[in-house]
Amino acid sequence: MIPIQYSLRNLIRRRANTLATAFGIALVVFVSSAAGMLAAGIRHTLMASGEQDSAIVLRKGSDGELSSVLEEELAAQVLSAPGIASSPNGRPLGTDELLVVAGMKRIADGNIATVSIRGITDTSFALRSGLSFIEGRAPRPNTSEIVIGKQMRGRFQGLEVGQSFELTRNRPVQVVGVFACNGSSYESEVWADANLTRNAFGRAGLSSSIRVRLKSANAFDEFRTALVKDRRFAMEVYRERTFFEKQSEGTATFIVAIGTLISIFFSIAAMLGAMITMNASIARRRREMGTLRALGFSRTSILFAIILESCLLAVAGGIVGAAVSTALGFVKVSMMNYASFSEMVFEFRPSAQTILSAVFTALLMGLFGGLLPALRAARIPAASALRD
Amino acid sequence: MSLSKLAVRGLLRNRFRNIATMIAVSVAVLTFVLLRTVITSWTTAADYAPKDRLVTHHKVTFVMPLPLRYVELVRQSDGIRLATYASYFGGQDPKHDRETFVSWAVAENYLEIFDEFSVSAQQKQEFLADKTGAMVGDVLANKLGWKVGERITLESGIFPSAPDSPWTFTVRAIYTASSSSVDRSTFLLHWSYLNDALPQARQNQVGWIATRTTDPKRSGQIAAALDQKFASDEVQTQTQDEKSFQASVLAASSTVLRAIATISLIILLIMSLVLGNTIGMSVAERLREFGVLRALGFESRYLVTLIIAESSLMALVGGLLGLALSYPLIERGIGVAIEQNMGTLLPHFKISPQIAAMALIGVIVIGGLVAILPAYQATSLRVSEALRKVS
Repeated sequence: MIPIQYSLRNLIRRRANTLATAFGIALVVFVSSAAGMLAAGIRHTLMASGEQDSAIVLRKGSDGELSSVLEEELAAQVLSAPGIASSPNGRPLGTDELLVVAGMKRIADGNIATVSIRGITDTSFALRSGLSFIEGRAPRPNTSEIVIGKQMRGRFQGLEVGQSFELTRNRPVQVVGVFACNGSSYESEVWADANLTRNAFGRAGLSSSIRVRLKSANAFDEFRTALVKDRRFAMEVYRERTFFEKQSEGTATFIVAIGTLISIFFSIAAMLGAMITMNASIARRRREMGTLRALGFSRTSILFAIILESCLLAVAGGIVGAAVSTALGFVKVSMMNYASFSEMVFEFRPSAQTILSAVFTALLMGLFGGLLPALRAARIPAASALRD
Repeated sequence: MSLSKLAVRGLLRNRFRNIATMIAVSVAVLTFVLLRTVITSWTTAADYAPKDRLVTHHKVTFVMPLPLRYVELVRQSDGIRLATYASYFGGQDPKHDRETFVSWAVAENYLEIFDEFSVSAQQKQEFLADKTGAMVGDVLANKLGWKVGERITLESGIFPSAPDSPWTFTVRAIYTASSSSVDRSTFLLHWSYLNDALPQARQNQVGWIATRTTDPKRSGQIAAALDQKFASDEVQTQTQDEKSFQASVLAASSTVLRAIATISLIILLIMSLVLGNTIGMSVAERLREFGVLRALGFESRYLVTLIIAESSLMALVGGLLGLALSYPLIERGIGVAIEQNMGTLLPHFKISPQIAAMALIGVIVIGGLVAILPAYQATSLRVSEALRKVS
């Protein structure tokens, strides 16, 4: 076999070409792994909101909490259905909530952006197992105290502990706490008392959804059947996780689709770049190849040496690109979530899988880019090449 | 031998390498055009919005309605020519429960204010005459297989129907668009049908009011005057001209748009690396030949022009190939899928002439720029040294 140093030295020898090609591959890997990380971030944020042993009830025909209207009395009927876990005081663990959106002034640019406001009861906190206060405390029920998700803090006017603002005209509220919740979309919401929210937004007697904690993940079918059977209600029952998966579909699919498409096109361009570089390098080394053949190296080992050279080139670029892309982990993206029509903060989520698959893509680019030139190199006959 | 002929000859020299480079350029152009089309298609609504159309909605949130009586008050205001209103219906077809589309319950005169819907006079008449009639976009109709005369039942989470009387409609009109900003996947129904069926407490409310002003130049003033009018009434309003309204919607997606714009530039950067690499190699191989040309009396300036022309020509051929691929792939393939599935966001997915021109001029300029360094190398060598170079 031809030693690996041979391939490595060749790359170092033609520094300028190697760098240009590797840099191209690094850019490709950077873009494709960034898209992968953002899609993973969106999925994480939207899916972390859903728990396997919780269920959410919406009005039939609605495509999300925002377009679902339920009468307040329905909550009591839903909570009497079978399959619901009990709270420590023996009551069924569930509550109705109201979701509305309101325009608030963004501090960064002074523009008005839409923010989700959730009308909650004290059971709401018990239903989110990962929720914890990172500053301040929980609001007292039936007061104008509100709490905010940690991603909202400092982004909009008035959203900071100790500050107060008007939810709607003449409805002042005070921020008493900031909560974190596993990086879920709740962290981009403002939580206020349900009745206060109803009155402020002219929704007296109405809710958007009812959430319950099930006895176990298996109790879902029992719970759902009982509600769907009752034709008076016209309600849709989802496992919470399924519901959020459905919500994240649109945005994440868009990012993944456009990310994949771009990655494919980018890869083709970069692969051609690798092919050109390798091909030129072979053309210049005809005599050298002839010598290797004359020394007794087989065609196969030459083939492998050239492919190895090309793969080393690509993987070096790939590792640089992937490494730089992980720096995006510190970047937060604030964007419109079309499912909830409000501004939500997403993070790039680096994972071993995205990075490995990015480096693997680079490897493929090197492999295919090097294949043709390698075949060409292997076919060079010893005798004639030496005479060149 | 003329310069252009020499440049073409140069391209034919190392065919494998040059063809690979041109394919790389064409793929880059294709990607660039695709990404730029996403951006224009996304921002198109703001570009086409007429300056004289105002939208009035609830000051705090669009989920809260305005009282119907506001419409008349708005219409009587100074500078207002026409006023109409609509409510978001939020309908879904239970037979196609994975398809979501936008549905508006609209006033009788809605189409007078939103005149960019194009529909035949007869169908329009039939839609207006039938209280339970519906007017749907052609993209939506094709996707769900609806024809004129078809009966449709929708469910709405916002306006739940009574169990014994579901929301049923007859498709009376199918519209296309005269402006590329119109979403051809929208479902329009009559506001009066909705209103009459609602419980009393929810009757006589509208989602938003749209108006046309008498003078587009005074739109800002007129809008401010409207909001002032309702400042101390039961519900406060926020009025914007449609352009600013669309711009504020767009601002919410600005991060994504910026990211796409950046990526489209990165592909051009990758392209210049590939192209520059190729030109660099081709010049390095021909140093001796350039020495011969200079020894024959060709000026350096001539050689520089030759190398730049060769590079730009390669970029131009690759660019044209890329555009030739873009049209069928984007307008026939990807574009149709996008219009059908993301029509609300990207209503008109077509390559604009500006983008095509931008891509082509862009690659030619890049082709010229990346050739500067190799050209300098080719001419900075002394003739005697160049002639001694072994190729």
